[in-house]
Amino acid sequence: MTDKQGVTDLAKPRPGIPKQTRSSLRRRVRSNLSAYGFLLPTMVLVATFFIASGVILVVLSFTDLSSSNFTRPWNFIGFDNFSRLFSDPFFPKILRNTAFYVFTTLIFFNLGLALVLALVTTTIPRRIGFFFRLVWLLPRLTPSVIYILMWKRIGSGDPYGIFNQIAPGFLGASGGNLFLGGSPWTFVILTNGFVGASFGMIIFTSALLSIPEDLITAAKVDGAGTWRIIKDIKLPLIKWPLLFIATYQTLSLLTSFEYILLLTEGGPGLFTTEVWALTAYKRAFSSYFGNSQWAFGATWAIVLVAVALLLAVVYVKIFKFNELIEEPRIENL
Amino acid sequence: MKRRKTRLRAIVLLSVVFALVAAACGDDDSSTATTSGDAGVELTTVNIVARCKATPPVEDGRCNNLVSGIDAVNASLEASGDSRRVSLTIIQDNADWGDYRTEFELASDAGQAPDIIVSGHEDIGTWATSGIITDVTDLLGDYSEFDDVIESLWLSTELNGRRWGVPQDAEARPVYYRTDLLLELGWTQAETDGLAARLASGDYTWEDMFDTAAEAVEAGVVDKGNGWWHRPSNGPDFLYYYYSAGGDLLDPSGSLIYDTAAALKVYELVGEAVDRDILVSTRLDGDWTNWNTGVAVGDVLFWFGGSWQWADWAVNFIADLGGEQYLFDNVGFGPIPALAGGTNQPTSLTHPLLYMVSSDAEHVDLALLVISKATTKELNTTYAVDSGHLGILNSQADYAPYTDAAFLSEVGSILEFTTFLPNSPFFSAWSEAYYLGITAVESGDLTPAEAVDVVINQLENELGDNVIIK
Repeated sequence: MTDKQGVTDLAKPRPGIPKQTRSSLRRRVRSNLSAYGFLLPTMVLVATFFIASGVILVVLSFTDLSSSNFTRPWNFIGFDNFSRLFSDPFFPKILRNTAFYVFTTLIFFNLGLALVLALVTTTIPRRIGFFFRLVWLLPRLTPSVIYILMWKRIGSGDPYGIFNQIAPGFLGASGGNLFLGGSPWTFVILTNGFVGASFGMIIFTSALLSIPEDLITAAKVDGAGTWRIIKDIKLPLIKWPLLFIATYQTLSLLTSFEYILLLTEGGPGLFTTEVWALTAYKRAFSSYFGNSQWAFGATWAIVLVAVALLLAVVYVKIFKFNELIEEPRIENL
Repeated sequence: MKRRKTRLRAIVLLSVVFALVAAACGDDDSSTATTSGDAGVELTTVNIVARCKATPPVEDGRCNNLVSGIDAVNASLEASGDSRRVSLTIIQDNADWGDYRTEFELASDAGQAPDIIVSGHEDIGTWATSGIITDVTDLLGDYSEFDDVIESLWLSTELNGRRWGVPQDAEARPVYYRTDLLLELGWTQAETDGLAARLASGDYTWEDMFDTAAEAVEAGVVDKGNGWWHRPSNGPDFLYYYYSAGGDLLDPSGSLIYDTAAALKVYELVGEAVDRDILVSTRLDGDWTNWNTGVAVGDVLFWFGGSWQWADWAVNFIADLGGEQYLFDNVGFGPIPALAGGTNQPTSLTHPLLYMVSSDAEHVDLALLVISKATTKELNTTYAVDSGHLGILNSQADYAPYTDAAFLSEVGSILEFTTFLPNSPFFSAWSEAYYLGITAVESGDLTPAEAVDVVINQLENELGDNVIIK
């Protein structure tokens, strides 16, 4: 009776919703049910590991939770952690380091080198290009800790590191520690950049290869040189992947600290290569004599999350992502 | 029809995945098992889990000694008519100390801590305060083996008059020097042989050591920066610099003291070492492999290390050159030299590791029984000789296998000058800030006076009322 009543109810026209619209809505929901089903596991993961952890992080940042008091009920201390963070004498230096690390790696490697590699390997014969891309992917195929420690060993001071052993012969320098110790930022950025470039390289390569050959041929017929073809045809046509990589890699680099942790631990010296995410990690989980300050670490982390969210919004607005992902208008003509 | 089948398959697949995840997250409560004994008595086997950090193979005895004592544990239970028996699971690796400690804290938070953990005595400050280790004061008397532990070592297990662990090992932290390089520098054999005694009497000071190191660099006996090395990362050693400079650390109120005059002296010392090319400005690079290689093969004239490293070098670094005999032929050692203008006394530091019992342990008495059967002169001596650690038992003083170990009997005399870390929950933050000053001066980022100001700022920001700036 209820079912019958229910069916009858559904069949009745409801005030305010035209019958055709309602059935079209039901049809759309039903037809998208599988899609929602497939999205569900990801949504659960995002809710558990991002949204829930984000909320916990915010709550934690208002407590004084640490190794020495975590078995007792949480003690809320208001904004004390935030005032402690902003009055940290090294806060400005760590902020500057983070901006330097993110944008230098991004511009020169994750975008710059990736684009150069994609352009070069799609211009040379196909097989040779494929081979070079494969070679460039090797670091990404290597477990990152092994890759980083290998470079650490190579860049170690003389007589332990290969680079520092052969450097005096090539550079006329006095040996010592020119690489990891002498130029820590260069070494960190190079090590990370070589791996980071391969991601953009793959995306850009696929975008470049999807450009219709006719356009290139037409440009050549019109007398365009290589640079002109790149500037006026290829780059505008891969604008979307370029902006996507810029956004994705900025956010990824903001939270990346494992290269610095393993290569320099934020040194040498006074926070020379310390970045925001590394400070958050160290505060929360790593100090020689223990007593991890989880709440203070969470405070550093939540500020980073806020910066990342802000940057994401800025990127989406500036790069007009909505326009870029619109359906091609040509299909509607 | 086909669509329905696809959906059904997807649902079944998802259910299987969720079931597997749920099973993986489930509690595996297999710490006890019941069997029937010979006399028909129902025996309960309790599994005790012990967690150790150890450098293989020399320190393997840290957890392996617990395993070696397990027969004695079960014999003791049987003799006392206890229906319980013990099986032991050990988790032993060479993790970074910071990670190792964090692991125990997080495991405790999750209620999954090992029953026994071996860690530095200074962890008592944090762990006893947070309540994740057990106060064993009133239980120690039940185990006669603990009566043999050297009395002074019990001090390192105490916080607020209560005992929170049992000493597992102890060590000396000497200055090592290359005798072959001193001879190459022009010292006579008698001068080289007499250096240890001069160090112990306070006649050969920290300044003398720097002068000798600078001469060696100038003469090309060692490379620039290899006159004197300290450890490449933060650790207990840097505290005896501060003690040597006359610094007080623990206030009776429980707060920590930052003595600016002593700290300034330490920062001036390390700055001077870099300025005189005795030490490179990037020595604090955290690279222990390069550090151990450098000192073991003879690249460095003086270095501050630990007695346990002697065994590590002999086995893991220069076994091909002759192992321990090579070290005896080329390396001397003595207490850390006296610092003029500081205490003017030689010094050292002992950092006993303790067996501690987690608050999660359901059978504290069994955990202590396991520890007690590893606290014997036979097992501890094997560990001490293998690893270069000092004995912890009175009975080892006249136990031939211990007294016959040449290195241990010589280095043990340094204990006369020893100091300890404080058992304070604030020491970690204090140490990080103090060490910051050392890194900043060595790298040339700050002058010693600037470093003191930065460290004060950092300490006040980190510890507030729990630090006294003197």
